[in-house]
Amino acid sequence: MKLIPTAEMTLGPFFPREFAEGANDLAAGAGNAIEITGQVTELDGKPLDNLVLEIWQADAAGRFDNPDFVGWGRAATDAEGVFSFKTVKPGACAGRAPHINFLLLYSGLMRQLQTVMFFDDAADPVLACVERKERLIAKREAPNRYRFDIRLRGGEETPFFDD
Amino acid sequence: MAFQIERRDPLTQAQGVEAGYAQTARRWPAQPLARRSHSVAELSGPQVGRRLGEIRGDLAGYGERRALGQLIRVRVRVLDEDGAPLPGAVVEAWHCNAAGKYIHPNDTHDAPVDPNFYGAARMVAGDSGLVELRTVKPGAYPVPDTGGWWRPPHVHFSVWGRAWLSRLVTQMFFPGEPLNESDAILNAIRDRAARERCIARLAPSRSSELVYEYQLVVRGRKANPAIP
Repeated sequence: MKLIPTAEMTLGPFFPREFAEGANDLAAGAGNAIEITGQVTELDGKPLDNLVLEIWQADAAGRFDNPDFVGWGRAATDAEGVFSFKTVKPGACAGRAPHINFLLLYSGLMRQLQTVMFFDDAADPVLACVERKERLIAKREAPNRYRFDIRLRGGEETPFFDD
Repeated sequence: MAFQIERRDPLTQAQGVEAGYAQTARRWPAQPLARRSHSVAELSGPQVGRRLGEIRGDLAGYGERRALGQLIRVRVRVLDEDGAPLPGAVVEAWHCNAAGKYIHPNDTHDAPVDPNFYGAARMVAGDSGLVELRTVKPGAYPVPDTGGWWRPPHVHFSVWGRAWLSRLVTQMFFPGEPLNESDAILNAIRDRAARERCIARLAPSRSSELVYEYQLVVRGRKANPAIP
């Protein structure tokens, strides 16, 4: 039996606050925690409030199946469009450079948008397949702090993936 | 046998910018989406059940305090593209109250808040991939800033499948609602049969609740073994 995947639809503007609270800390007090912050904007640079971002990443050793590190987190933007995650820096894995998968959900987005954050301009097949790849490389602001701004549409638009 | 995700079919999935929904042209990327090959990073998936616990499966009130509206029960089965149920799948649901008002500070619609209604549920599917949401039927409401477009009654669902790319966020509609015909979100799905699959089926009920049945099909299937 072959079923057709259910049609994706917009998250809408009223995603329950409760679903995102506390879900943006993956590090659980780990000594090597990093912080990732960024702002999400639409056309004309307007920030977006209560947009939901989810991340999926390997652990520090590059494993996706570590029972002690779930590797998933969720954040919602504030009224200034700002989000933050606390996590550990993922390791390289199976031909892939260290990276964090991002998924964005919001009203006006008819389906999920996928992008990827990298730490360096490293050799990676996913980074290699986009134009404007500098838009996928986080800015290191402090030894344990990274900045990853996401522009949905317009100048300096972030590259997104279709899968 | 490996697991694989096939590309989205443009007939059965929305494509981005919709003329009837102004915000899509401010938010959907203007550049074409890039295509990538899939590695373990996309084809593995989080065990979110270890981070996200259940939060009630009953939005219709607390004890004697009952939410206003038509009592309903929605039976949702979570399946993959092979038709295999996903036991343990985490399912989130949220919707507005019977008057069309969400429990959210950003909802400015001039409709009453129901103090006995709770708008958010999180459930974990049983062995047959089934979750049951008990609630009241949501109302219709006007979309802010769009000049007269009313959303039909709907329930938002969020579910995780086996892979990161299986993530599904969608909306379930109710049968026989006139507003279904003009909704810019439901009608962004070009294929009629795909739209109809987004509308729940009213099932026979002898209890105090109307019962609806629904399926959530997440992306992903077992790869066909190579033919020698």
